[in-house]
Amino acid sequence: MPTVEERVIAVTARVLQIDPSEIGPNSAFSTDLGAESVQSIELVAMFEEEFGIEMDEDAALAVQSVGDAVEFITKTCKEQGVEV
Amino acid sequence: MSDTKKTHPLVDCTEPNLLEETFNYDLPPLIRFDGPVMETIDGQPVEFDPAALRTRPIVITDTTFRDGQQARPPYSLEQMVHIYDLLSKLGGPNGVIRQTEFFLYTQNDRATLDRCRELGHRYPECTGWIRAVPGDFRLVKEAELKESGMLTSCSDYHIFQKLKFKSRRQCMDSYCEVVDAAFEAGVRPRCHLEDITRADIEGFVLPFVERLMRMSEQVPEELSVKIRLCDTMGFGVSFPGVELPRSIPKLIYKLNREVGVPSERLEWHGHNDFHKVHTNAAAAWLYGCDAANTTLFGFGERTGNPPLEGAVIEYIALKGDLCGIRTEVITELADYMRSIGLPIPDHYPLVGKAFNTTRAGIHAGGLRQDERIYNIFDTTKLLGRPPRVALTDKSGADGVALWVNEFFGLEGKDRISKIKVHKVARWVNDQYEKDGRMTAISDEELEAQVKELMPEYWAKYKG
Repeated sequence: MPTVEERVIAVTARVLQIDPSEIGPNSAFSTDLGAESVQSIELVAMFEEEFGIEMDEDAALAVQSVGDAVEFITKTCKEQGVEV
Repeated sequence: MSDTKKTHPLVDCTEPNLLEETFNYDLPPLIRFDGPVMETIDGQPVEFDPAALRTRPIVITDTTFRDGQQARPPYSLEQMVHIYDLLSKLGGPNGVIRQTEFFLYTQNDRATLDRCRELGHRYPECTGWIRAVPGDFRLVKEAELKESGMLTSCSDYHIFQKLKFKSRRQCMDSYCEVVDAAFEAGVRPRCHLEDITRADIEGFVLPFVERLMRMSEQVPEELSVKIRLCDTMGFGVSFPGVELPRSIPKLIYKLNREVGVPSERLEWHGHNDFHKVHTNAAAAWLYGCDAANTTLFGFGERTGNPPLEGAVIEYIALKGDLCGIRTEVITELADYMRSIGLPIPDHYPLVGKAFNTTRAGIHAGGLRQDERIYNIFDTTKLLGRPPRVALTDKSGADGVALWVNEFFGLEGKDRISKIKVHKVARWVNDQYEKDGRMTAISDEELEAQVKELMPEYWAKYKG
């Protein structure tokens, strides 16, 4: 089963239409990966769909990097009783 | 400069100070004063007390059917009766919209007046408007009106160039003859001092009005002359320090305090040639004119007159109370005027289609969090117009979320987050990024997209 990080990278690659190999834990969505305003919203929506969770909008949109997203999603899954 | 320089330490806080004494969201923002207004007149400092506006019996008068109608094809009788009815509803039982004036020359003019009076409204009182010709008072008398405006143009442009009088004396005598005719007919004359902001104030206006005041002393109070200051070309200036004849403070001071025309018999009539029209009318209130003459949506000769609806909002802002005014009728009037072919620009204050519509995403984001951030007052309550967003490439997901929530009528915790509208936001974005669109997106287009891309919400709220 893929890890949370692998799943976050896969979703990010799909939404931003870039190669997964270009994405690492330290990649910042906006400055490194070029996520624009609507894409940031799409990323959060796709993470919710991928993991079957609901995220707080403001908190989720404040996440800057892939590593932070992994941490935030893991925490949210735990809070919402979703196994990852 | 150095003498007045002060330091201003930060007043830190963790709770916002929203200045709600002024910006009470339930009312238009209040205009509060913290001291007198000063003007230098004939070398002497003169104080005006703006706070007195709260208690002074200021009113709005209307000339939609006279000056307003001069600027457009004539209204039909039915249209005028309906507008009159709505004006009465808007002004409320206290008669904040105190008077409106009618032409009396044609059979249709007189029939319209009769039909309006048959409605039985106390306000606005119906008054007439005639030329400065003694015989015209027969029309006023026949119409059983208590008051009529009459042209008494007072600049030399009018006295000599237009009316071809041989001297000011001849002009004044002629006007006074008409005033006498009004008294004889039992009609109160309202002298319209046309072109006053281009007149010789000391040389003609003040002597003429002094004579009118002396004549008024000879008749019962209800016939005493009223004075309308007509800023015919929009030359009036509201701020202190301006010289006559353009200074509104000085004009009103001279007539009110030097000549002794009581405030309740002074009225300001402006024109908008220099974009000063509403502020000038409000300044006239402040400096001692009790009546501000207006037209609906500012329609009037050339650039128009002070907009009535603007004066209504200003009135509430000065009084700090609705005073019986039904502000929602402003929207009803605008809808009616549009329905009879009167164009109102989208960006026109208070009633334009876009007056409380935001397009920028960053503003939409603010609106989404707290509508007070980008809405002037509770426009839903006072005008029946909730704040809206129009979607363009600048609107962002915040704008889309705001539009969707408004469309579904969702408030508070029921509101849909912008994450849930991401598909519609993507569609909007692609319209501009991929398809090169140059226009705003219509409500109909968005509705179709919401139905297609958010079917679960559509089924829940529209199904």
